[in-house]
Amino acid sequence: MKRIFVWDIAVRSFHWLLVIAFAANALVIDDDSKLHNQVGYVVLTLVLLRIVWGFVGRGYARFASFPPSVDGVKEQLTDIATQRRHAHVGHSPLGALMIYNLIASLLVLCLSGYLMTTDMFWGTEWTEELHELAAIWTEASVVMHILAVIFESKRTGVDLPRSMVSGYKDMPEG
Amino acid sequence: MPWNKEFQVPLGLFGLIVVQFFCAVFFIGDVVADYRAMGGFTGGVHFWFEMLAALSLLVTITFEAGLLMRMLRRAAHLQGRLAVTKLAVYDVIEAEFEAWKLSPAEADVASFLVKGFGIAEIATLRGSAEGTVKAHLNAIYRKSGAHSRGDVLSLLIDRLLDEQTN
Repeated sequence: MKRIFVWDIAVRSFHWLLVIAFAANALVIDDDSKLHNQVGYVVLTLVLLRIVWGFVGRGYARFASFPPSVDGVKEQLTDIATQRRHAHVGHSPLGALMIYNLIASLLVLCLSGYLMTTDMFWGTEWTEELHELAAIWTEASVVMHILAVIFESKRTGVDLPRSMVSGYKDMPEG
Repeated sequence: MPWNKEFQVPLGLFGLIVVQFFCAVFFIGDVVADYRAMGGFTGGVHFWFEMLAALSLLVTITFEAGLLMRMLRRAAHLQGRLAVTKLAVYDVIEAEFEAWKLSPAEADVASFLVKGFGIAEIATLRGSAEGTVKAHLNAIYRKSGAHSRGDVLSLLIDRLLDEQTN
């Protein structure tokens, strides 16, 4: 086993603060409350900071380290189908797609939610519909993200949830 | 020699599954919203049809995912442009692996075995430990009734010759 530092403190803090804020708004806080809007702004701030960090950060935090890759997706799908155990140090190709999906969904969710509070769009149906659709899609994505993390941890033998806490991945040799 | 068209990873099917998943999420969200709005199962026939349709879509998606996995395994073991004869040979070998009830991992190891790779090479190709590959090999021997690599190859060649005469 080779211990590699992968997720810096900014990425990990972003991840877990986002988990708390999103779960609070999706599961606990009343949709029509002021608190729901404030927590929404926290989510938006977190996502925007993550996007900035994707450009100015170092190492595996950078978007440049996990560009969308057709060949990578092909390889990973093949590995899954044949139960091969190749692990990825940073984001895996499918994991990267999920990250871009989550960032985009959260942006749509936050912006549509914000529009609902403005004088110009208050009470319009399409902002509300869009907000609800984005919420459902983001929630489904989160569920898929969690299931995929559990599945990939089992397949590759690398404890992914732990790496998001400690920052280190224990990679198999070779 | 007649050539089969290029054998590729079915990315299009993967894309379709993603799109269908998006639709399923949308429909299920609708069902849940209706349920909440009505405060229970009071929506009558329309509600149940809606739910049935959404669930059938999910079931179809799981079947498609199974098909995708099958096609991926095939593509993994048959890369590039293929002669029709080679494809026919592979079909027989694949059917035999299925008759032995090999798991996807074991079938992968077995197909590397047929291509002549050693244990260390197979371990590298699969990103796993040599011990794991040996465990897969033992499972292959047990399920096929063979005692060695040579035995496995004999069984397959036997099967191929049978196929020729039939």
